[in-house]
Amino acid sequence: MSSSSKPSKTATDPKDSAATDKSNKDTQKQTLSLEEDDEFEDFPVEDWGDGETETQNPPGGKLWEESWDDDDTTEDFSTQLREELKKNPTK
Amino acid sequence: MTTLYKTFRRALTTKDGALLGSIFSPENPDRRAFAFSTNHERIRVDVEFEISGLTHLRDENTRSAWIETLVSYWKIAYILERDDGADVSWVKAYEGQKDLLLAMVRGYTKGNWPHWTLPVMYQICLSLRTVAILSDDQARRLGKTSEHLEDAARYINKAFTLCISDRAPIEESRKWGTYYIVNLMFKTYFKLNSVGLAKNILRVLPASLADMPPLEAFPKSHIVTFKYYCGVVSFLEEDYGNAETHLTYALNLCKADSIRNKELILTYLIPTTMLTKHKLPTPELLSRFPRLATLFNPICKTIKSGNLQAFDAALRHGEEEFVKRRIYLTLERTKDIAMRNLFRKVVLYQNEENRTKIPVRQFQIAMGCAGRGAGGVVGVGYAENGDGGENGGGGMVEADGDTVMRSIPERMEVEIEEVECLLANMIYKGLMKGYISRERQTLVLSGKEPFPGTVV
Repeated sequence: MSSSSKPSKTATDPKDSAATDKSNKDTQKQTLSLEEDDEFEDFPVEDWGDGETETQNPPGGKLWEESWDDDDTTEDFSTQLREELKKNPTK
Repeated sequence: MTTLYKTFRRALTTKDGALLGSIFSPENPDRRAFAFSTNHERIRVDVEFEISGLTHLRDENTRSAWIETLVSYWKIAYILERDDGADVSWVKAYEGQKDLLLAMVRGYTKGNWPHWTLPVMYQICLSLRTVAILSDDQARRLGKTSEHLEDAARYINKAFTLCISDRAPIEESRKWGTYYIVNLMFKTYFKLNSVGLAKNILRVLPASLADMPPLEAFPKSHIVTFKYYCGVVSFLEEDYGNAETHLTYALNLCKADSIRNKELILTYLIPTTMLTKHKLPTPELLSRFPRLATLFNPICKTIKSGNLQAFDAALRHGEEEFVKRRIYLTLERTKDIAMRNLFRKVVLYQNEENRTKIPVRQFQIAMGCAGRGAGGVVGVGYAENGDGGENGGGGMVEADGDTVMRSIPERMEVEIEEVECLLANMIYKGLMKGYISRERQTLVLSGKEPFPGTVV
């Protein structure tokens, strides 16, 4: 308890003791911001130029895979599937 | 003079709407000094004095609406800044915010506030919602029910009406505030978990659009947010075609460095695209959004491999998060693509010359290898070559994403009729082209693109 930085409360009316009470208020006062998990965030600015959108500056190339053929041939499942199918080959 | 008044005077003189709005922002750093600048007896006289002499306020109605608004705002500032720190009464703060909102409404209806002051409306609606949420949280902690957020939605609706009912010429119309307020209503209804009310907005809105500028004419922050919520509503209605259009629009227009918002758009666009286009996100895309990578990587890998049992495990593994994001049911449907890929592998693993006529038995084996998926319990251990047992980790539910993807299913025997049924289903859904020859127990595949869109 000795580490408590708060001096004992002077029983003043909070309305008149802004300065003395400030440190306490700053830590305890709830800020009016919400930590919403999946809420769309307000943008920091209202509008922006076309150059600030991703279509103008695509950093990561394509969004969607074009092919299904680059699969991992070392993958155990595929190997096993191939072997099992071979045991019953098409006539 | 308190800074807040100086800001007020400057904003009015220079017609700086954003600056004027910032006064009412929950983050306004000057609120504290404003709260301590006077007391309940003197606040009105102070405000009258501090804002006197402004040309913009020569109209008596305009002036008195501003006085009301600033006095209401001071009362909230007092509650938030001067009431005893630890236990701010959010109920009281909420009542204050409501008075503030009503004063604002009078500003527009009676006080002739011009359209460039719209940011004031935005900030006041935003704060009302924020305080309502905090008040509801506080009530819940105390074991009471609180319906302030629902109440707030009704008040924000008043702002919506203020926007759409403005008859002024469009250049100076409050109609420019419509989408901002609509977006705030969307957010509120989603927070209330009432997607039905969100849909309602979309039903009502078209009637108000007649003499409204086109959406593209609005600021991008309004457009992107609006399109995001339209996309999510379509997604939840399982209207994936429209969801794709709205969400793609939102993504393309989104501010490039707004990572979190892009992440949210993609959370719905990725499952949507899996269904509409049968396409998976590229590794480059996922690598830019670590949260999305964690969310989607396991399921994408298993879709790719066709390992159905691992697909089920990945779905179970992410279930909690998928349900929370409302994407579980959609992802469940992507199992069709996993199965398509499994069947496609069966075809690719045949000798070149045998790829159009394939015994159903081959697909039966594949289904057995893939663990059949969780659907049934036909599971008779398939111990033909003796190693079926020790590979069986694939059915485990609790595993990290990587284990899930790597696992080899416990093999199962699947009835031939079931396999035929699955194949017929794939053909019906357009994922494969061909027909089943029952007398020969053979799948006859189309010579051209038997698996449309997969380059086979």
